Amino acid sequence: MKRLQENRIAQLSKYLQASKLDPELLPEILDHLACEAEERLWDGNSFQQAYDKIVADADLKTLHHLSVDHKNLLAMDKTLDDIVFEGRNKQYGAYQLRRGYGQTMQRSVLMGVTLFLLMVLLPNLYATLVPDKKPEDIRFEITLDRNIDIRPEPKPLPPPPVKEEAQPVEKTVKSVIPTVVPDEQVDVEYTPPVVEDLQTAKPGEVTQDGLVDVNVITAPSATVTSGNGLAVEVEPEKEKEYILVDQKPEFIGGNAAMGAFLQKHLRYPSQAIKASVQGRVFLEFTVGSDGKIENVKPIKGIGFGCDEEAARVVKLMPEWKPGKQAGTPVRVRFTLPIVFKMD
Amino acid sequence: MENNATSNEYVRGTLKTIVLNLLAEHDRMYGYEITQEVKDRTGGAIALTFGALYPVLHKLEQEGLLVTESVEVDGRLRKYYSLTTPGNEAARNKTNDLERFLDAVRLLLAPKSLATE
Repeated sequence: MKRLQENRIAQLSKYLQASKLDPELLPEILDHLACEAEERLWDGNSFQQAYDKIVADADLKTLHHLSVDHKNLLAMDKTLDDIVFEGRNKQYGAYQLRRGYGQTMQRSVLMGVTLFLLMVLLPNLYATLVPDKKPEDIRFEITLDRNIDIRPEPKPLPPPPVKEEAQPVEKTVKSVIPTVVPDEQVDVEYTPPVVEDLQTAKPGEVTQDGLVDVNVITAPSATVTSGNGLAVEVEPEKEKEYILVDQKPEFIGGNAAMGAFLQKHLRYPSQAIKASVQGRVFLEFTVGSDGKIENVKPIKGIGFGCDEEAARVVKLMPEWKPGKQAGTPVRVRFTLPIVFKMD
Repeated sequence: MENNATSNEYVRGTLKTIVLNLLAEHDRMYGYEITQEVKDRTGGAIALTFGALYPVLHKLEQEGLLVTESVEVDGRLRKYYSLTTPGNEAARNKTNDLERFLDAVRLLLAPKSLATE
């Protein structure tokens, strides 16, 4: 079997390339011509003879015709893009872009629409996927296997009443203020005490024998003194905010120091300067039992940034001397007017 | 080969049918094989030139009647052609059509006296 050596094939290939044959056709024609050459070698010709014969058959003109024929035959189904790019560099990229244009547009429109819908529907989607937790939603239901007694805690019993010691009885003489009554009801036996009686006895409800001169001073209230040693002083509630207290809270150093502090820190807001606004801002705040200032809130302002400025400065203030109620520091709601006045 | 030019003229119209028909008989063929087959079977009366054959093969491939597979043989790529299912149908139809046409042509070419006899 006679086969063409590679350099012979390369020679044929070079010839075909030089003839500007359609590259799509080239490998096939090469194979065809190579087969033909092999056939001739088989018949006993030398390669040079075979080559010459082939070149004579497949001269440049024939090959050119082949290319043109081929192109025309296939051109029937060509698109506009193929015609536009006829004979131009299709590798450059514009051809690819142009050919894929329809697809790209379709895809981008689809993506755009999807994205837009997603953006619009996202809040709704989120709401349906993650429902709000309602406070009345019951998470767990527990069945108890034993009854639980819910009873109020036993209150500490009130201290037992102190037995009243038998007080020495005073000698009293019945002495009541006379009242006007009908005749038949008049207590005839009763006669008001005379001065002599009252020297030794005290006037009372009934006439009673007893010690003549008892200088008894009874304590004003037995229950108060009869404690078990605990101070029964009423302690003011800590959390309650007082408005009126025994001792008002105070800026440490007094009003003069507060004035200096305000003057140092207060900036006249530029808006207020422009609008030439002046006046008083009433701030309400709480002075805690530790003297801290909380809950600063302008209750009546003049605007133009003055209210905010006043609130800002008050928040800057150091701790106050807390207000006191019954000797204990308590929270006090305090109202402070701050004056904005232009020079 | 002086009749080559005229034979080419007829071949041009029937080439598709010839190629399809040959491929229907064989599993797969490559270009040169087809030309050789045609030459052998017609005793050289019809000689397909590659210039005519390959455009037709490519056209048929484009139409979806043929599929190709490339095999490397002896350091070069050889492209084998075989029929697809629609190609098979097309081969049968076209062969039938051509036969009917040839019959008609024969009737036309026959001397009138013979035809009427």
